[in-house]
Parts: sequence; C-alpha cells; structure tokens
Amino acid sequence: MKINENCVGCGQCASFCKKGAIEVLGKARATDACIECGICAPYCPVRAIEVQV
Amino acid sequence: MKAIVIGAGLGGLLSAARLSKAGYAVEVFERLPITGGRFTNLEYEGFQLSSGAFHMFPHGPGGPLARLLEEVGADVQIVRSGQTALRVPLKKGSTDYGAGFRDIPFYDFPALLSNKDRLKTAFLIASTRKNRPAGSTLQAWIKTQVKDEWLVRLADSFCGWSLSLRSEEVPVEEVFEIIENLYRFGGPGVPMGGCKGVIDALEAVIAANGGIIRTKTEVSKILVENGKVTGVLVNGEEHEADQVISNIGHAATAGLCGEALSGEKYAGYLEMLETLQPSAGIKICLSAAEPLIGHSGVLLTPYAKRINGINEVTQVDPKLAPPGRHLTMSHQHVAPENVKDLEAEIELGLKDLKAIFPGKKYEVLLIQSYHDGWPVNRAASGTDPGNETPITGLYVVGDGAKGKGGIEVEGVALGVAATMKKILG
Ligand SMILES: Cc1cc2nc3c(=O)[nH]c(=O)nc-3n(C[C@H](O)[C@H](O)[C@H](O)COP(=O)(O)OP(=O)(O)OC[C@H]3O[C@@H](n4cnc5c(N)ncnc54)[C@H](O)[C@@H]3O)c2cc1C
Ligand code: SF4
Ligand code: SF4
Repeated sequence: MKINENCVGCGQCASFCKKGAIEVLGKARATDACIECGICAPYCPVRAIEVQV
Repeated sequence: MKAIVIGAGLGGLLSAARLSKAGYAVEVFERLPITGGRFTNLEYEGFQLSSGAFHMFPHGPGGPLARLLEEVGADVQIVRSGQTALRVPLKKGSTDYGAGFRDIPFYDFPALLSNKDRLKTAFLIASTRKNRPAGSTLQAWIKTQVKDEWLVRLADSFCGWSLSLRSEEVPVEEVFEIIENLYRFGGPGVPMGGCKGVIDALEAVIAANGGIIRTKTEVSKILVENGKVTGVLVNGEEHEADQVISNIGHAATAGLCGEALSGEKYAGYLEMLETLQPSAGIKICLSAAEPLIGHSGVLLTPYAKRINGINEVTQVDPKLAPPGRHLTMSHQHVAPENVKDLEAEIELGLKDLKAIFPGKKYEVLLIQSYHDGWPVNRAASGTDPGNETPITGLYVVGDGAKGKGGIEVEGVALGVAATMKKILG
C-alpha cells in the first residue's frame, strides 16, 4: 500500500482502517500494523492510496 | 423529466431531494463508497468525527439550510448554539494568553476599544446597515476606519473560523452580506446526530420520492450535444438526462465536459475558472473527560498564533462522543503559502491549544487537513461564480457555487435554492 503526493491529510482513510494502521500529520502514513488489505483505498477522496495487487 | 446528479455531497443530495420532490426521476452518482462528501460523520475510536465540517450550521435552525431541509421534508433537529465567546488576554496590551485570559461575549467586542473608537464603532454598526462599504477587502476597510489592531485580530479569527480565509482575503461586501444574514437568521446551531443526521434525512427523502443513489460509481464524462447537456458517462455506459447537476465545483465539471467546452465561445468561462482559489484549513479533534469549553457556543481565539476558533459539539449532542467524553474541535485557516508546510502549521496549532487550555487534560484524537482537491471551500467566499455553466441544462451546486453572503453550508443551500428556482421556476 502506497500513499502518493495527492494526499491532503484529511484522515478519512484512518477512520476506515480496522487495524489502526494509518497515522496522519499533514499527510497519511501507513504503519507496520498495515496488512495490505486495501480496505482504506476506495474511501480516499483524492485517489492518493495505491494498493499493489 | 430525468435529472442526474454528480456527487452525493450536501449540495448534490439537497438538489436530488428537491428535484425528486418535484416529480423528477433522479439518479445520483457518487464516486466514494460513502455519501455526504465533506459533510458526514467519520467514526473514529468511538467518536463521531467528521469528513469536513464541524457539525455546525452557520445560521442554525433559522438559516437557509434549515429552511431548505424543511421545504424538502427532511427530518433534522437543529439546536441553536449558545453565545459565541471571545477569549482575550487578561492584561490590556498583551498579545497572547500566557499571562492569563478571560472570555467575553462576542457582542461585547467594542469594550476592548478606546472610548473614541468605541463611539466610532457604534456609529459604524448602525450606519453600515444602510450604507454598505464596498470596493476593498475587509481588513483594508477596517484600517481606514479604526486604527486598533484588536479589530483586525477579531476579523481574522472570525473569517478564519467561518470562511477559512484571512480578513485581507475577503471582499468587504461579502462580510457585510454575512453580517446582514446574521441579523436575519441568527447564529450557529448543531444538527442532532452531527453532519450525518442531515445526510441520512436527505437520503430518506430521496428514497421516498423514488430517487436512486449509486455509490462507488464515478462519472467520467458529461455528454453535450449542440451546447446542451444530454447525460453522463459511467463505466463506459451512457446515461441520458434532461438536466445534470454537478456537485463537484466548476473546474472539475468543466474537466468532465472535455472538448465540448473548447472554442472561443467558452474561453472567458475557462479563464474565469483559473482564478478560483480553494481555501485550506486544519482541524484538530480533541477528546476530554472534563469539558474544555464548557458551553455550546463557538469560542473564537483572536490571540492564538494559528487557531481561529473551537467548538464542543458534545455540549449539544453527547452521542457524538463515547459516554463520559467530550468532542472538542479546533479550526485554523492555512494561508496558501503555508500549505506546503502543513506539519509546521499543525505544530503551531498544537502549541496554541496548550496556551488556550492550560492545565486541562485532553487527548489529540485525529488531525485533519484540507486543501486543493479536498478543501474547506472550493471557491473562497466572495468569489463564487454562480450556478450556471455555458452548457444548457448543466448546473453546478455546492461550495464551489455558493450564494452571496452564505457562509459554507448556508451558501451551499442558497446556491441549491437558486438553481432549483431556475430549473423548476
Ligand atoms: C475542515 C472543514 C471544516 C468545515 N466546517 C464547516 C462548518 O462547521 N460548517 C459549515 O457550514 N461548513 C463547514 N465546512 C464546509 C462544508 O463542509 C462544505 O462546504 C460542504 O460539505 C461542501 O459540500 P459540497 O456538496 O459542495 O461538496 P462535497 O462534500 O465535496 O461533495 C462532492 C461529492 O462529489 C463526489 N465526486 C467527485 N467527483 C465525482 C465524480 N466524477 N463522479 C461522482 N462523484 C464525484 C465526491 O466524492 C463528493 O462526495 C467545513 C469544511 C472543512 C473541510
Ligand atoms: S491496507 Fe488495510 S491495514 Fe493497511 S492501512 Fe489500508 S485498511 Fe489499514
Ligand atoms: S483519505 Fe486520502 S487524502 Fe485523506 S489522509 Fe487518507 S490518503 Fe490522504
């Protein structure tokens, strides 16, 4: 899971991640707790989350 | 008649509710898995945070949004907030909260001026209702009237909180329209259930009127023939419509029109779109066992370095936080030149909170920032280009096309109401 330059830091993804694996400070960052499930990606309003398949 | 709405934000859903009530077949397409856009709840650690707004209507139960909700039959309870308070330093002359502070009611702001300036301000408050100032920014106008930095601080915190702009960025006409609306409609209020209370009620109306909302469905193109809208493209499929209401701002809407907007005829419109500036801001969400503000009114903080204002929505609806906790949220405007330094801006905001709530215990739940493609406001207040487009049957609603003097969602409602009048007569 990669968060690209589009990220504005709105925190929307963090509220949908069931693993509490996103930290937000101006931009989002996935922590080691991320299991690459991809659940957060479609909730991003600016298409900043890229999930590798 | 068939209407297609692009985007299920507040502007889109208000339009869909109104049109479906008028007998239109309505279909709403929303790219995200959730509806509400920047006006819905985000559940986070048991708190009802929000995707944008502070769970607040700028004019509460008496404003344009409340009126439009009632008109379409949306069942929302809006509770008027208490008095807006101003936190000011205890000692005259100090420029921060370090040596103590006190809170005064908003309408008492002239008390901090000299006798002479107080008289002048009283005169201005009365005379400007008839003779509205025009032709400059709010800050430039204030400086020509009263030489006291307090009024500029006050103007900056008010504009920062309610428009996410500095007083030097807001046309004075727009501010006086807002002041008139404050007289007309009253101050802020909180919808029960937060932003989502409003979105749920609108969806119920749309469903009852036979309208359809499709989430996870992106519109990739607006179809135009001979200068008139004919429908939209979704997943490669054409959907026909008599009217298309776009909730995504003028610029993105123009983007979806593609070559239909090329040619000299449209150059002026496209040039105007280049000048639109979205406004940026940072919201810091706090959790506390003991209230930090202690009342339901907005607390403006003119002497903070960055934070413009704070509210405590659990004073109205305790269900927005887990039992025994309060949800308190601060807002700070971010100047365009500082958007690249959000971390530094957040740091200043967190420092402000320590100075505003010294000795109080709270936790920072989530820090949310908004700019560019997902901003506080798509068109800075006072620059909205109206709801029509050069394409017949294609309208833009939402905070990229607010009505005059309409703060945020009140402006969204005014814009929707004006658009509905154009379509429905
Ligand atoms: C931090 C912050 C605090 C705020 N505080 C307040 C407040 O306290 N009070 C207040 O009144 N206002 C406040 N606002 C402003 C308010 O939230 C917005 O003005 C309002 O929510 C905008 O609604 P909208 O309908 O214009 O747009 P949006 O909510 O952005 O809706 C547009 C929708 O269109 C969808 N979309 C985009 N492109 C496509 C496509 N191609 N196909 C299909 N769907 C698409 C998007 O996903 C989105 O859901 C605040 C905003 C922010 C960010
Ligand atoms: S991919 Fe899954 S675990 Fe990782 S941040 Fe997104 S939602 Fe959380
Ligand atoms: S939802 Fe998207 S823009 Fe918002 S913080 Fe997450 S990655 Fe960034």
